Amino acid sequence: MRKFLIVLMVVLALFVFAKQKIVLNSYASDPAPKKALAELVKMFEEKYPDYEVVVNTFAHEDFKTLLRTWLNSPDAPDVVTWFAGERMRYFASKGLLEPLDDIFTDKSFDSYFPAAFKSSCEYEGKIYFLPQSWYWWGVYYRRSVFEKYGLKTPKTWEEFLKVCEILKNNGITPIAIGTKYLWTAAGWFDYLNMRINGLEFHKKLTAGEIPYTDPCVKKVFDYWKVLVEKGYFLENHPSYSWQEAASFLFRGEAGMYLMGQFIKDVAPEEVKNDLDFFRFPIIDEKVGLYEDTPIDGFMIPAKAKHKEAAKFFLKFIASKEAQEFYAKSLGRLAANKNVPAPDAHAEKGLKMILASDGVMQFYDRDTNPEMATVGMNGFVEFMVYPSNIDKILENLEKARERIFKK
Amino acid sequence: MKRRWWVPYAFLALPLTMYVIWVIIPIFQTIIFSFTDWDGVSPTYHFIGFENYKEIFSDPYFMLSLKNNIKWLLAFVFLSVPAGLGVATLLDQKFPGGKVYKTMMYLPMTLSFVVIGQIWSWILEPKYGALNTFLRAVGLSSLAKPWLSDPGVVTYALIAAASWRQIAYAMVLFLAGLKNVPRDLVEAAYVDGANSWQRFWYVILPLLRPAMVIAITVSVIDSLRAFDIVYVLTRGGPFYSSSVLANYMYIQSFHNYRMGFGASIAVIQFLITFGFILLYLLNVFKREEKF
Repeated sequence: MRKFLIVLMVVLALFVFAKQKIVLNSYASDPAPKKALAELVKMFEEKYPDYEVVVNTFAHEDFKTLLRTWLNSPDAPDVVTWFAGERMRYFASKGLLEPLDDIFTDKSFDSYFPAAFKSSCEYEGKIYFLPQSWYWWGVYYRRSVFEKYGLKTPKTWEEFLKVCEILKNNGITPIAIGTKYLWTAAGWFDYLNMRINGLEFHKKLTAGEIPYTDPCVKKVFDYWKVLVEKGYFLENHPSYSWQEAASFLFRGEAGMYLMGQFIKDVAPEEVKNDLDFFRFPIIDEKVGLYEDTPIDGFMIPAKAKHKEAAKFFLKFIASKEAQEFYAKSLGRLAANKNVPAPDAHAEKGLKMILASDGVMQFYDRDTNPEMATVGMNGFVEFMVYPSNIDKILENLEKARERIFKK
Repeated sequence: MKRRWWVPYAFLALPLTMYVIWVIIPIFQTIIFSFTDWDGVSPTYHFIGFENYKEIFSDPYFMLSLKNNIKWLLAFVFLSVPAGLGVATLLDQKFPGGKVYKTMMYLPMTLSFVVIGQIWSWILEPKYGALNTFLRAVGLSSLAKPWLSDPGVVTYALIAAASWRQIAYAMVLFLAGLKNVPRDLVEAAYVDGANSWQRFWYVILPLLRPAMVIAITVSVIDSLRAFDIVYVLTRGGPFYSSSVLANYMYIQSFHNYRMGFGASIAVIQFLITFGFILLYLLNVFKREEKF
């Protein structure tokens, strides 16, 4: 009788637990990260055959608007890709995310990830974000192009301007940028502000504590204006997405591109090894070296149907083997601190960050989402009509007052 | 026989219920949301009276979007409709290969706006796009422009892309209308010595009036709800210079998490469209009374 019961239970268990399904909505729409994620999921399914992960991939820019809908839907996905920092906190503060502290009961967050990551992953003392990878920003260029014109990577602002001038005189667009989706312009704002006014100022500004009409902010645009007015930026940049603009760099028609490491994801094979980066030039000796280091990872919606399975999956994602695999396939840095930099390029990036005096994430991850849209629109407008700057900053200030008053 | 008055209502019950659930109720919900500060994410919201509306009328980007909508409207009514009429009149003649031309002109109608947007993004690409390449090839390189990133021309570029489809639409309406023009009337005018222009102006055009009313009304409504092409080609950029009301509403509601503010834009757009629909309906009713 007992035997029968056991058999029955096993059969029932097989029936009930036959393949736990996990729905994963992903923004990894560029071919390289899409493939890396698919392989990672395969790895998970092979290791834990009881689970089945269904990956739905959405175009990156569409994903950003769709997430809001999913989080509110009763049919929410179990796992979603997202960005650490304010962009995660916005949803956590509305109670739309599942706390992930269960994952870290046997091994603490700190044993997986650098302690410095914690503040970007938590909200009111609870962890809502599981970091997968992070990367650095830098000024990307093609070594062969620099060699051709005898250029050395610039360390200071003056050297940087010189490089721009030489490139321009040789008929090469000094700086590639595609501002159709706005955020690329925020990279320039972040770096100029951090190099001119420092980290504390930048932190306060993104937290909405400093008016955009502050003279220090104006100074950022004075530096930026030089580049705009000398015509160093790619012509017609509002027509291009960041990938389209990157192809100017890959073809050797543009010299430099301030971009995150993920620019390598879209580089053609023959250019990949020619691509290199240097640290954003120093403007003021007295100001420390601060960098943007965005963290990407996963969250579980509060309305997810298979939360336990999702947490199990994320625990796998946090593991050394999963993190190492993903970092290696994309040349990014793994969030797991036990994983070494996957290649020489990443080693260089890691060294640059370790030698920096402090880091932020990125403008649209550090400030309120609405402020980010208004701000980035303003930056692009400035890049087309630099003389409008006073009006633009007044507009931003009006928005800041309204948004941060709440 | 006793008339069963409820029969038509019984047939209408199902579609009416669906219409109420999916059209009428959401309209009122939108009106309610337009008086709140709902962000579209939180479970709660506060009523803030007319704050959203006050903000709208001091919002330069709203005004810009409204102005762009008016440009769309004028272009659709005064360019697309006459162009559609012209093409329809030409294609109504019998000539060899006429069917092929008709199909070619009609083709854009079969494409969705998203596909049209994608096609035009290749045509209008500043450096390697078909239009600029063509202009340079024929020695008009001074006319080559960054069509989608020059704030001064971007709206017109978008209207051109949309007109490609709109003209085809108007053409179909007029072709159908022309089929209803009695041949003998035109021939009678011919016998009476009217030249082709007079035949068109005094005989055909007045008979096309119903088609004209529909074409204009549809164009007005289409121009007011323009969204897809703008979203695909520029997202209203650069910095809102090509934004239209529907696009601005979308950006505010879904990118900026301001459902309440977005709803109030929708309400204003609704009122404007409603005004035009009312004009159309009045026109229709007036004519029906005549007959």
